[in-house]
Amino acid sequence: MPPAPPPIIRCDACFKEIENEDVFCGHCGYPLKGTKVEQSSFISKQNKVDYYKAEIKKKVENRIDKGATTLFCLAGLFILAAIIGFFKLQDNPQVLAFVIPYLFLGIIFLLLGEYSKKKPLVCFVSGLCLYIIAELYDIVENPQASLLGIITIIIIIVFLVLGIKSAVEIEQIKKENNIS
Amino acid sequence: MLPVDDELPDKKSCIQCGKLIQQNRDFCNQCGARQSVQNSTKPVNSWGLLQQAGLFFGIDIVVCALAQFVDALKTFSFFLFSDIIMAISAVLFFCINWKENKILLTWHNFSWQKLAAYGAIAIAGQVLVHYSVDWLNLVVYSKDEDYVQHLNGSFLGAFFVVFFTAVMPAIFEELGYRGYLLQTLLKIADKEQAIYITSFLFAFIHMSFISLFWLIPFALFLGFVRIKENTLWYGVFFHFCFNLTACIFQLL
Repeated sequence: MPPAPPPIIRCDACFKEIENEDVFCGHCGYPLKGTKVEQSSFISKQNKVDYYKAEIKKKVENRIDKGATTLFCLAGLFILAAIIGFFKLQDNPQVLAFVIPYLFLGIIFLLLGEYSKKKPLVCFVSGLCLYIIAELYDIVENPQASLLGIITIIIIIVFLVLGIKSAVEIEQIKKENNIS
Repeated sequence: MLPVDDELPDKKSCIQCGKLIQQNRDFCNQCGARQSVQNSTKPVNSWGLLQQAGLFFGIDIVVCALAQFVDALKTFSFFLFSDIIMAISAVLFFCINWKENKILLTWHNFSWQKLAAYGAIAIAGQVLVHYSVDWLNLVVYSKDEDYVQHLNGSFLGAFFVVFFTAVMPAIFEELGYRGYLLQTLLKIADKEQAIYITSFLFAFIHMSFISLFWLIPFALFLGFVRIKENTLWYGVFFHFCFNLTACIFQLL
């Protein structure tokens, strides 16, 4: 008769398969042959690490939500500008030349806001660059700058740069804690 | 009989007690020591690195914007000047981290088949772009056309066109974007995000909203090739073939 296969032994902490002669679990480091005190202190330490990781994850998700809100606000601003421009310049033959770029930017920023929950850094960096290039075109077309316009541009750029900064922090936290 | 797993190659020795343990274990099952060296590298200053990358991109975008928007600078000498500035900036930034970046200039996995395949994809891509742009009847204003304007006619002119639109961008844009920028962003974010950001930024410096539809896929392809092959040279060759085909279309 063939010998019966040895029963599978599992670790008490991570429930992964282990060998009978193991002193420590090869997967989580649980002291299989340690004293009761050693084992319970290992478990409580592990719980603390899990709790800490969950806290960080919550913080990261919170920040990502805030960043997405900034992008959605900008999208709303562009679409609002397009709508106001449309009613103001209704009789002007160049109305479409004003409305279409703003509408286009609005849609792009909506997409960026939606996608920023997954890839925040990509969305903020490309959002900032797109905005700067769009403003450059605008300034070249209408060189008479108003104070209000400049202040708006600066505020939007500051918001986007802050978004990039927190996206970088998110990436750093993700890398340090192996959260994907 | 059960296989004797001592003979399997997937064993490593514990970093603390030296006993043989399985390759995929995080802890030694004899002494309990953690096997992975956790975050042994010094912490990366992500925000500082990103600002540095911003400076690199800022120089390029200022030069490109000047060439694009200021009518007084639409001269041949300024085009020459802007190309030289961008080339120097790419080389300098690439050399900031020479120790880590020099590996990109090696070419261990050289193969004629791959090179030919990339060249063929580049030529096919350019033909597709050329005809789709023609078909959409869009006028794409680019620096290349100005070179053709200034240098048309002679053999030497054609040589300069090829040099400034195919050779220079292929080498220095690859060095700057797929070299320095991608390498820096890989330290800050994951692979995918780094490739996406480099591609978008690369597309933006061309200052043409219409061209984005082919520039972004083109740049994404180059980014993935660079990551996959771990060398800059396939990208340089691909970029060269792509631009050379465009040159030939314009010269004909």
